[in-house]
Amino acid sequence: MSANAIEAEGLVKTYRSGRKAPVEALRELSFAVPSGEVFGLLGPNGAGKSTTTKILTTLSLPTSGTARVAGSDVVRAAAAVRARIGYVSQGTSTDPLLTVRENLELAARLRGVGRADAAARAIRLIEEFALTGNAARPTGKLSGGTRRRVDVAAALVHSPRVLFLDEPTTGLDPEARSAMWSEIRRLSAEDSLTVVLTTHYLEEADRLADRVMIVDRGTKVVEGTPHALKAALAGDSVRVELFEPDADRVRRAAASVAGLREPLVEVSGPTGALIARADDGSAALGPLIQALDAAGVAFGAASVSGPTLDDVYLHHVGHTFEVAGPVTEGAAA
Amino acid sequence: MSALTLTPVSSPATRASWFTQTGQVFKRWIVGTWRQAWGPVMSLLQPIIWIVLFGQVYSALGSLPAFAADGYIGYLVPGVLMMTVLYSGAWAGTGYIDDMNSGVMDQLLSAPISRSAIVTGQLLQQLVINGLQSAIVLGIGALAGARYPGGVGGILLALVAATLLATIFCCASSAVALITRNQVALIGLSQMIVLPATFLSTTMMPAELLPGWVQSVAQWNPMTWAVELGRAGLDGSAFDGSADGALLLARFAGLLVLAALAFLWTVRSIRGYQRSL
Repeated sequence: MSANAIEAEGLVKTYRSGRKAPVEALRELSFAVPSGEVFGLLGPNGAGKSTTTKILTTLSLPTSGTARVAGSDVVRAAAAVRARIGYVSQGTSTDPLLTVRENLELAARLRGVGRADAAARAIRLIEEFALTGNAARPTGKLSGGTRRRVDVAAALVHSPRVLFLDEPTTGLDPEARSAMWSEIRRLSAEDSLTVVLTTHYLEEADRLADRVMIVDRGTKVVEGTPHALKAALAGDSVRVELFEPDADRVRRAAASVAGLREPLVEVSGPTGALIARADDGSAALGPLIQALDAAGVAFGAASVSGPTLDDVYLHHVGHTFEVAGPVTEGAAA
Repeated sequence: MSALTLTPVSSPATRASWFTQTGQVFKRWIVGTWRQAWGPVMSLLQPIIWIVLFGQVYSALGSLPAFAADGYIGYLVPGVLMMTVLYSGAWAGTGYIDDMNSGVMDQLLSAPISRSAIVTGQLLQQLVINGLQSAIVLGIGALAGARYPGGVGGILLALVAATLLATIFCCASSAVALITRNQVALIGLSQMIVLPATFLSTTMMPAELLPGWVQSVAQWNPMTWAVELGRAGLDGSAFDGSADGALLLARFAGLLVLAALAFLWTVRSIRGYQRSL
């Protein structure tokens, strides 16, 4: 087996449905994930993250291209791949009518673990994931956060080499999300386990992933460590909240401020935001406020911060992560 | 919290045997059924209502020469037996729709499990429920006055026929569920099929009392095949030479072939579902 847990080469996935126009979910996506890494697959809804995960977990067939996971081809040796992966899908992984313990034992037994070993593994994972008090409860009666922990435990019960976590914290409250982050950090300490974390939360990828790949509209936008990606963006990010903004007027005001670059105006209903980059954000903020005021633009909070993954995404894609759609106006690099 | 210590299970090529996989899938469904007992309980009450209701409504028919000594109830019981199996089987696909909607199906399909084991495990659970329902129908029928001169062999023949019919409709329902992925479509289609399947057969009325065109349709209806096999078993005519043995055998073979085809259709549909992802 190579040092890469995952190798994807030219993955294309095109969905065809009757007379509707074909949808290109993936367009020549290539990447590799070294063993033992926590790899963040990052992108807005519809970017192709889940399609990529489905192909790598053998759920879906690529239209063209190849992928190897844990040393085996996902199409030609799907059974071997399935034996070596754990998968936490966006939905639940567990039967709501079975208890936590039963679900874990079922997951193990279906993957070739013997009866006694399955029971022992279930008990160990129940302890490791702090599920002891819920072990005898049906998973359908657990809170969203607890049930998600059961999903992750079930995906680990057969000691996979690669664990796929597809949006593991979507729908969780902040407390449960924080608990899940702790679990993922704990998993990342395990050298033999490669974790592919699919998420549309930039903060999540920033905190947890050793390396991230940003995808948009089925193609790779950029790939690297969160630190390197952010470091590549010199200077600060400047953001000003706007009320009933006139995009042209805001852009003209921003263009008049020295040292401000890559201005972008996003409008979402009656509100919006001006986002720009500056070598010295603090120095540019004062003149920017004056320019907006002089142009008669109503604005609210203004902030200056160091680069975030959101800025990385904005820099490479041309719109912010939250509104990865047609509401974007303005110029970007 | 302690650090994880992940120990490989064994060589990566290791898979659970097909029987283990099927057994685990069966166990999962049967435990779930036990914990949601209202479903099976309601489906057990249904045949009781049918026997009492139809037995009373059509009781006057019992005096016609087309019926045996124990009157209409003896004629009705094999029909209700197959109706119970038919109606119950038509709902089998709802479990798949729940699994597809919740994400459990993705889990099963991304595990190293044979697709036929997924289908067989769920089918076995349905057949166990159907077996229980069948036993209750025969018991209630006996209490209502039906007699089974075919004895144990006759009862077994009726149960085998019911099992084959259940397999056909459970699998067909599952295949439709996997293709449509829609609860409403499945229920609509089931309702569209089960009533005509019942009334265009000899479930409640002997062929000679049916209109000509209904007789023509009924002779090709698998419901008729199962009902007549059950009837011939329970009244003993399958064993004493009074029934057409060749016809019974042909109908049995027909049910067997349809059950096999329906099973293959479901396995094909589960693969089709995966290909569409």
